[in-house]
Amino acid sequence: MEKVCVIGAGSTKYGKLEDSITDIALKASVDAIESAGIEPKQIQAGYISNVFGIADKQVHLGPVIMSNLGIPEVPSLSIESACGSGSVSFREAYANVAAGFYDVVLATGVEKVTHTGTEWTTTYFSYCSDFFYEGGAGASFPGLFASMARAYLAEFKATEEDLAMVAVKNHDNGFLNPKAHLRKKITVDDVLKSAVVASPLKLYDCCPFSDGASAVILCSEKFAKAHSKNYIEVIGSGRGGSPAALQGREHITTIPSTKIAAQAAYKMAGITPKDVDFAEVHDCFTIAELVDSEDLGFFEKGTSVQAVREGRTKLNGDISINPSGGLKSKGHPIGATGIGQVAEVFDQLTGKAGERTVKGAQIGLTHNFGATGASCAVHIFKSV
Amino acid sequence: MLSKEEFINNTKLGKILARKCTKCGHPHLVTTYFCQNCGNKGFEDILIEGKGVIVTYTIITVPPDGYEKYVPYAWVVMKIDNSELRISGFMGGIRSPADLPLGTKVKVTGHDERGIIIEKQ
Repeated sequence: MEKVCVIGAGSTKYGKLEDSITDIALKASVDAIESAGIEPKQIQAGYISNVFGIADKQVHLGPVIMSNLGIPEVPSLSIESACGSGSVSFREAYANVAAGFYDVVLATGVEKVTHTGTEWTTTYFSYCSDFFYEGGAGASFPGLFASMARAYLAEFKATEEDLAMVAVKNHDNGFLNPKAHLRKKITVDDVLKSAVVASPLKLYDCCPFSDGASAVILCSEKFAKAHSKNYIEVIGSGRGGSPAALQGREHITTIPSTKIAAQAAYKMAGITPKDVDFAEVHDCFTIAELVDSEDLGFFEKGTSVQAVREGRTKLNGDISINPSGGLKSKGHPIGATGIGQVAEVFDQLTGKAGERTVKGAQIGLTHNFGATGASCAVHIFKSV
Repeated sequence: MLSKEEFINNTKLGKILARKCTKCGHPHLVTTYFCQNCGNKGFEDILIEGKGVIVTYTIITVPPDGYEKYVPYAWVVMKIDNSELRISGFMGGIRSPADLPLGTKVKVTGHDERGIIIEKQ
């Protein structure tokens, strides 16, 4: 296999955006191309992740984006894997470069849903669940994670205040991120007093519905060495699956696909969780970050809550978790999120993260899953 | 392969139609084609009593389309008695966590536009 590098990254601001899905996807793509210092003609394939293009009247986004970049002849793949679409797309891009099919590829993720309103998004997101048992029995996505939360709180003697601390920490980080959707500091009290969405989760336990696009340029190490002085290397890539419905899982407080993907990525990278300096993890809800941090091996089962209480996951703590602000504060444009995580790692490891820089970081990890973790991808990156 | 219709008809009788692997005995809900434990394709039908206990749940206050008139309601996961299987569904009449402690005994009673219906025993 070829070694694969990321040589450029770009993102729009996440939030409520006025421009069309195509326009924001193009903006992020052009920013990534310029960040990489390449010409569109050098791109040999495109990987375009998106879930609800239908909401903005544009599906089959791949060819539209390639055409607007002036390279209509270049093949593209339009990818949907619920909230994990971005990382799954990145993996396909990675695998194709690693296999030697292409030297340079573009991976762009995009979502545009805020104009549809809360009822539409709540309903359509529920179609990402195992619908007969979950969405089709009244479960919203907050409801599925709330069920995980109730089981976790009971099993590990954690509290709703503990969940709130995850939100506060991620908003502290997102406050330092100019592209974050919810760029404001909050308190534990703000979270606890916010409206209940699906008990025990409240509004501030939940990530927002966001619009946004992110893009990265992947290439072979040979190309990176010849064309760039500012790039990072992909040293681990893993994927995994879980029973699609929560009821199919023996333990509801763990996500099997995360463990499988992480073990594969660590093995490939030849590192252990202790070697990771910072991680962008899938905190669609506060409970998810606690579960993820354990499934990724940063903390023993049931102890991530103690780590949060002690501030060990804060920016420049023992391990900085979600220095970008995470899905919770940076925002969650679902087709873009997994690519946006890679863009954050690129910025962190190439000195572009400004005030939210993880000091001295050399190894960053991204973790992104679809639905309640039915599909998952983990990637590990190293500065060069 | 058994149909969703047969599964649904059985929920109305308080039963869960499941499939047991003929090779390793692992139980599955009807929609599985291959054994998740050993990969075998052979199954025999088993009818399980739709009774069990609450493993976890949520109380929904911001519902998907079609559920507005039921708010607040619970979506629950129950562990089926004398089986490794769990099943989830809709449970009405739950307003606060005090109404439904974990471990509460519940039963499957049917299926309608709300999905699989679970009620207290």
